[in-house]
Amino acid sequence: MEIFRFILAALLIAGGLFVAIVACKGMFKFRFVLNRMHAAALCDTLSIMLVLMGLVVACGFNLVSLKLFLIIVFLWFASPVSSHLLALLEVTINEHLHEQCDMTEAKRLCKEKQVDLSEVKKDLAEEEKEAANGK
Amino acid sequence: MNLANAYHVLYIAAIIVLTLLLFFCLIRAIKGPEVTDRIVATNMMGTMIIMIICVLALMLDESYLLDVALIYAMISFLAVVVLTKVYTGVYKEKKQGGKK
Repeated sequence: MEIFRFILAALLIAGGLFVAIVACKGMFKFRFVLNRMHAAALCDTLSIMLVLMGLVVACGFNLVSLKLFLIIVFLWFASPVSSHLLALLEVTINEHLHEQCDMTEAKRLCKEKQVDLSEVKKDLAEEEKEAANGK
Repeated sequence: MNLANAYHVLYIAAIIVLTLLLFFCLIRAIKGPEVTDRIVATNMMGTMIIMIICVLALMLDESYLLDVALIYAMISFLAVVVLTKVYTGVYKEKKQGGKK
C-alpha cells in the first residue's frame, strides 16, 4: 500500500516538473511578452498544483497538507490578477503593439464599439437639444 | 531500497530539476528586452522557489517552512502589483514631461 502511495506521489511530482519544463521552454520559444505570459501562467497554476498535490499524497492528511492547500488556493487567486496587471502594463507602455502582434480581431471589436458609441452620442445630443428647446 | 530512501531521492531530484529551471528563468530575466519580460520571469522564479521551499519542508520534516512559502507567495504577488503600478506611473510622468 505504501509503495503505491509513493508511486502516485512520484508521478504527480514528475508531471508537475514536466509542466514546469514546458513553461520554461515556452519562455525562450516565444518572441513577444504577451505570448511569454501565456507560458508563464502554466507554471503558476498547473505545475505548482501537481507538485503540491504530490507532496500532499506523500505526507497524508494533516496540518502540513492544509498549509499546502492554502498555498495552492492563494496562488490560483493571485496568478490571474498579476497576469492581468502585467498585460495592462504592456499595453499601456508599448507604443509599437500593433506592429508586434496581430490585432485585427481587436480592431474589428473597436470598430463595432465605435459604432455603438457614436449611436449613444447621437442619442445624448438629441436629448440635449430637446432639453435646450424646452427651455 | 528502503521507502524513506526512495522519498529522499525523489525530493532531491525534484529540487535539482527546479534549480536548473530557475537558472534558465534567470537568464530570461537578464536578457529580457522589455521591463515586462523581466517582471514575468521574476514572477515565474518566485513560483519555482515556492515549490522548492515546499519540497524542502517535507524533506527536512520542518513544517514551519510552509509558512515561509505562504508568506513568499504573498510578497511575490505584492511585488508584481507594486512594480506594475510604479512603471505605469513612470511612463505617464514621462509622457506628460514630453508634452510640456
